[in-house]
Amino acid sequence: MRGVLNWLYKASGWAAAFFILLICVVVIVQVVLNLIDKVYGALFGTAIGLTIPSYADFTGFFLAAASFLALAYTLREGGHIRVSLLLQLFPKKIQHIAEIWCLGLAGCMSLYFTYYTGRLVLESWTYNDLSAGMIAVPIWIPQSSILLGLGILSIAFMDELICVLKGGTASYDGKGENLLSKADAENSTIANQGEMS
Amino acid sequence: MNEIALTALLLLVLFFLLGSGVWVAFSLLAVGMFGMFVFTDAPVGDVLATTAWGASNSWALAALPLFIWMGEILFRSRLSEDMFTGLSPWMNRLPGRLLHVNIIGCGIFAAVSGSSAATAATIGKLSIPELSKRNYPEKMIMGTLAGSATLGLLIPPSIILIVYGVATEQSIARLFMAGVVPGLLLVSLFVGYVIVWSMVNSEKLPAETTTYSLREKLHASRRLIPVVLLIVGVMGSIYSGIASPTDAAAVGVFLALLLSWYTGSLNKETFWDGLMGATKTSCMIAFILAGAAFLTVAMGFTGIPKLLATWIGSMDLSIYELLLALTIFFVILGCFLDGISVVVLTTSVIMPMVEQAGIDPLWFGIYIVVVVEMSQITPPVGFNLFVLQSLTGRNILNVAVAALPFFLLMFVALGAIIIVPEIVTFLPNNM
Repeated sequence: MRGVLNWLYKASGWAAAFFILLICVVVIVQVVLNLIDKVYGALFGTAIGLTIPSYADFTGFFLAAASFLALAYTLREGGHIRVSLLLQLFPKKIQHIAEIWCLGLAGCMSLYFTYYTGRLVLESWTYNDLSAGMIAVPIWIPQSSILLGLGILSIAFMDELICVLKGGTASYDGKGENLLSKADAENSTIANQGEMS
Repeated sequence: MNEIALTALLLLVLFFLLGSGVWVAFSLLAVGMFGMFVFTDAPVGDVLATTAWGASNSWALAALPLFIWMGEILFRSRLSEDMFTGLSPWMNRLPGRLLHVNIIGCGIFAAVSGSSAATAATIGKLSIPELSKRNYPEKMIMGTLAGSATLGLLIPPSIILIVYGVATEQSIARLFMAGVVPGLLLVSLFVGYVIVWSMVNSEKLPAETTTYSLREKLHASRRLIPVVLLIVGVMGSIYSGIASPTDAAAVGVFLALLLSWYTGSLNKETFWDGLMGATKTSCMIAFILAGAAFLTVAMGFTGIPKLLATWIGSMDLSIYELLLALTIFFVILGCFLDGISVVVLTTSVIMPMVEQAGIDPLWFGIYIVVVVEMSQITPPVGFNLFVLQSLTGRNILNVAVAALPFFLLMFVALGAIIIVPEIVTFLPNNM
């Protein structure tokens, strides 16, 4: 069971990374096409108008897939930021209770989020909603990536909650989820969470 | 005063959630849900799902993971080392000498990495041993690093500006352009301060013994070429109008890979580490953005931002008074939250007020980034302080004291862009 779950989190993380790679490839191809177009236009006076059809739509879909599929993986790697400044002042016992509160709340919200996203996908599927671009994609296809990511996140939260309730520590513990990292924290950890600052 | 009580209640809930350790993105979602459940009859779940989907499949936002990835690749390459060796021979004549390497080095690295903590960590790792070996005063080493590493937020391509642009529907290319002059202004303020300080305290500085011939200087500068090419490639493609920021980000990733392959630091391991690191960071930011988007919509349903905006409007504050109040608010907020969260929160509540007051949202983006930069070096929570703390082993207060002059210089820069808004708006309005 443990092995299956760990594989699930890792696999969804890899899938997310794959989508980021895909965004990069698609955009680079588009840039190359633009370049060819420019050169051609300069040489022959008229541009061919080379584009990847609906390319902005597709990069958007890939981005949504990447962001949501990586949720559980990021959680377990301690990538989601939180403020732990105040909690660190309290004794271990209270920190443990606070961890249960955080996981419980976030878990419930994640389930709620998943349920309503499920309804959204179902609705798009029933009414056969299409994307607005040149290539009309049934919108439920990209939307399911969000649903899948949220589903895996909910599983991850329940997993963590059970571990913590049993008296263990969460998988992300000490992995640099703290805004206030201790002095001995690895530089790389800080740099990683600092990317956004 | 009902709206004030409402806002205070929601803020209280938010601070309680954040303080109890709930993840930032979930805190934002929870406050939004709470506000909607309590004060409206709107279908919360459906709004949540629709907003999250709408906010996360955005083409403009696709630049975000790519720029983060570019930074991750460069972070694992020899770029910063090259920069140090390339720059140092040229700084020998200037009062303050190698201290300027910290500033210029941070400025350049900031331009390519878009992150202030990564800049502090990378440049600091190289320059601290070199400078302390040569007996430069510790306080100045830490101060220059802490201050100039924050330039990563302002000098494009800046991740925080992408976030602001997406959240407030401003053109990211224009925001990038707007950041250029204020960034240069800060660099020159820092350089000027170090020069003046060094002339006054010349006895505290070591005598530099190494001299370089012009030939050696040029030879060392060869190592700056890749960095310069990268910056020219990325920035040039945006400013010349060939590429959108998203396109330029992909070009940046490509060039960064090429660069790290050329310098021999690219292998399977660094490639995957960088990509997975970028996946994590961009997931975290995208989820916070989704949370903020929902909070914005939820706030719209409750009508609070409008009420607040009218309330502020009815107080007849001058723009200066409003900005002063906001600056204090942001610096306090920035003590407990990271820059992205600060920016994202403002879009939900503060933007209507700002627009009501007639402030240009483009200008406001740069203003808020400078304030967030300042909050990076204010204790108790400032990423750059943590980085330097871990690099030097000094406690956070020592580092903060060393950074204080640079904090004040940023304050001066902030005053300058308030009095002369053209520093920000001239470039984007004339290109």
